Amino acid sequence: MKFTATLLASSALALIASAATAQDVARENTVIFDLDRTIQDPENFNWMTPGTKRMHGAHQTMWEPLFILNYGTGELDPWLATGFESNADSTRFTISLREGVEWSDGEAFDADDVIFTVNIALTDEEISSREASTIRAQIASVTKIDDLTVQFDLNDPNPRFIVENFGVRIFGSFLIMPEHIWNGENPATFAFNPPIGTGPYTFTSAASNRAIWDRNDDWWGAKTGFMDLPAPERVIFLESGGEESRAQLMASNQLDAAQNVTIGTFEAIQAQNPNVIAWYADYPYAAADPCARQLEINTTIAPWDNANMRKAVAHIIDRNQIVNIAYEGTTTASQTMFAQYGSMAPFIDAVVEAGYGLPAAADVAAGQALITAEGWTRDGDYYTKDGETLSVNIHVNSASTEYTRTIDVIVEQLQRAGIDARAVPVENGVFWGEVLPFGAYEMSYSWLSCGSVNEPWASMGRYTVADVVPVGERSPGFNNTSRWDGPAAETYSAIMADIAARPLGDEAIPGLVAEAYQHLDAEMPFIPLVQAAKLLPMNETYWTGWPTADNYYNHPFFWWNHTHQIIHNLEPAQ
Amino acid sequence: MTDTPLTRAEKRQAKRIRRFDNPWLNPKLIWGAGLLIAIVAMGLLGRVFWDPDLVFTGSAQLKLPPLGFENLRGQSGIMSNPLGTDGGGRDMLALIIIGAPNTLFVGLLASLIGMSIGIFLGFSAGFVGGRTDDVIRVLADVMITIPPLLILVVFQTAYGDVSLTMMALLIAGFVWQSPTRLIRAQVLSMKQSGYVQMAQLSGASTGHIMFREMLPNLVPYLFGSFIASVTTSIVTAVGLEVLGLGPQRIPTLGRTIYEAINAGALIQNLWWWWGIPTLLLGIIFIGLLLINLGLDEVSNPRLRRLS
Repeated sequence: MKFTATLLASSALALIASAATAQDVARENTVIFDLDRTIQDPENFNWMTPGTKRMHGAHQTMWEPLFILNYGTGELDPWLATGFESNADSTRFTISLREGVEWSDGEAFDADDVIFTVNIALTDEEISSREASTIRAQIASVTKIDDLTVQFDLNDPNPRFIVENFGVRIFGSFLIMPEHIWNGENPATFAFNPPIGTGPYTFTSAASNRAIWDRNDDWWGAKTGFMDLPAPERVIFLESGGEESRAQLMASNQLDAAQNVTIGTFEAIQAQNPNVIAWYADYPYAAADPCARQLEINTTIAPWDNANMRKAVAHIIDRNQIVNIAYEGTTTASQTMFAQYGSMAPFIDAVVEAGYGLPAAADVAAGQALITAEGWTRDGDYYTKDGETLSVNIHVNSASTEYTRTIDVIVEQLQRAGIDARAVPVENGVFWGEVLPFGAYEMSYSWLSCGSVNEPWASMGRYTVADVVPVGERSPGFNNTSRWDGPAAETYSAIMADIAARPLGDEAIPGLVAEAYQHLDAEMPFIPLVQAAKLLPMNETYWTGWPTADNYYNHPFFWWNHTHQIIHNLEPAQ
Repeated sequence: MTDTPLTRAEKRQAKRIRRFDNPWLNPKLIWGAGLLIAIVAMGLLGRVFWDPDLVFTGSAQLKLPPLGFENLRGQSGIMSNPLGTDGGGRDMLALIIIGAPNTLFVGLLASLIGMSIGIFLGFSAGFVGGRTDDVIRVLADVMITIPPLLILVVFQTAYGDVSLTMMALLIAGFVWQSPTRLIRAQVLSMKQSGYVQMAQLSGASTGHIMFREMLPNLVPYLFGSFIASVTTSIVTAVGLEVLGLGPQRIPTLGRTIYEAINAGALIQNLWWWWGIPTLLLGIIFIGLLLINLGLDEVSNPRLRRLS
């Protein structure tokens, strides 16, 4: 009797204790986003070093950008900054910061923080994030005008300076770090734990499969009237695993926004849970992603160091089949390296008119003729030369069915044409951390020419000879991981330098794009495949206000830095 | 058949004698072997009567249901893909024609190699004794404590795509230790029996005694052990394949299940995609179990029920 009583009392105590430590937030006050990767180092918040340091909620809830590019309007929405000015030749930019911005520990956010963080990127050669490399390549010096004004002097004219570095054009932006915490630390090794930011959420806890962020009711934005406090009290980023578990979690309301699923899965989720929506209310549901898919080729490894062999592969690939099988018809074949947005049409048209557009169907015979011309002979199933079989390993990120299925289709096409192709599936973190940047692949499936949404340079400028490094060294900012070099690449790079210096909208640009593109077409350092479409299921059971084609305040890619806008737009369903 | 009708007792007697005459003809063994042979036959005949190229991505429409069923989109099954297709447009019938024998092949090859190693080491340890016995026994004991899947997962992740034979070889490295220990124990007890000592006295060589005198007495027992290790090998292989670590382009039952799970086949109600390979795996395991039970009756006469 006494024993039972003790047991009961102690278990009740334990219950209270666990409830107290968990600080329960009701499900209807929590928004749960899907994370497509394992957080390899959950204790580290130094975003300037490689790894999952941002998309697990850090740059969606805690760290805010200066501006956010609005894909709907094409304008820069001011966030931590209020605006900027530039001189006539785009070599000097002055950014005005918002008044009253505070770090979550109460310190003021000001020009010193911006200058401090930019200087880290300028002086520390060891930090390697894409944003830091871009800053280092562009900025000559940074000066404080007053507490809320910062002036940047550039090495070369760059009319895209703000959107490229501070505007969340693709995925992230150069994030400003608090000087009062980072000062005196080694930026290449500092773990920045506990992290702080200016955002409306603070870090609560993280493990390898989830990160939890809780609302800071003392957020500066609400105090200054910049914006109301966001409605969700807690934001969770949860690694869901594969498509099946993603779908089950979505159907049972344990997830509010999921990563990409195939259309069949989406229809099945909707059949079980009518509250689940996507970008379009009807077929094809998916939102156009600005990162067109491509086959990356390491141009330093034989036989793929031969441009004709790469062209042969390009001929053999049947884009229509990729669209029909891997995407079940929800996307279109790429004609060029660019995302087929309306704003990109002048450049795509220029390339296609010059005759460098890619066909949607394959021309296997033309591809095989190129292989034979290089001295390979078909021996049974495969081509051989000097006793060696023509083979290729294609590395593919195993995080999404979209990726692995595309590569399955390509492997099949190459196999049938006589190339012994194999898929090598790799975990997301390994793929981005070890395979791609160091050139540790023959071919791989990715989207590294991603960048352009309204001008051609951001994508094309990623393949210049300036970014060529030997295999085994990290490609700066994932640029030119193909390690494309040689006379054609040099001519191409010269044209790129010319385009880079011209203001947006210069009439000569489409012509120059076509001129430069002939080298890409002749040498094929990468093979454009299909346009990317992201079918992201969003759940209206607990939250409404998700971005859709009818409610287009911005795009729905909730792993990007602009997700602040999504979270501020969410409202409790009822 | 005899002309004069037998009484019930006589029938029972006759049956009993037949049983004792040939314990290999027990129904469990026959059924088990029948199931496995059926799968092999399906693989052989299927290649003749069905187009094996249909196993490759994009050879048919996606996600078609088997004949007589409808999928979520309202498409019904068609004759050219009687068991339906998977999410990559592969024909399910072709997948099982190629995949099921592949799965069986890995299991048989792995345990054939594993058993050979086991027989050799077990006999050496048991018969030679001394240092040899110590080394082999400790090695086998250590290996038994290591979970094979753990090491194989690491290995396959590191080396990526492997061939079926390579996978069988890898698995063979983990199925020799149990037979080694069991055979060693049998040999130790057999060594004391009269006929072995007689052979030793008459000057027969070690090899002769081990493989000519003792081995034939162990045959039913070895068969049982072999079938058990086939089961273990298949379980291991399927485990790796379901994790997506087997061969990439060669169809196997495990890989088909992996792809189904990976592509959300459960929520899309594409039951034929994961269900058919699972059913076949079930048949293979039931076949192996029946053979094992049958072999038990062969090696252990007390199990032969006299009804």
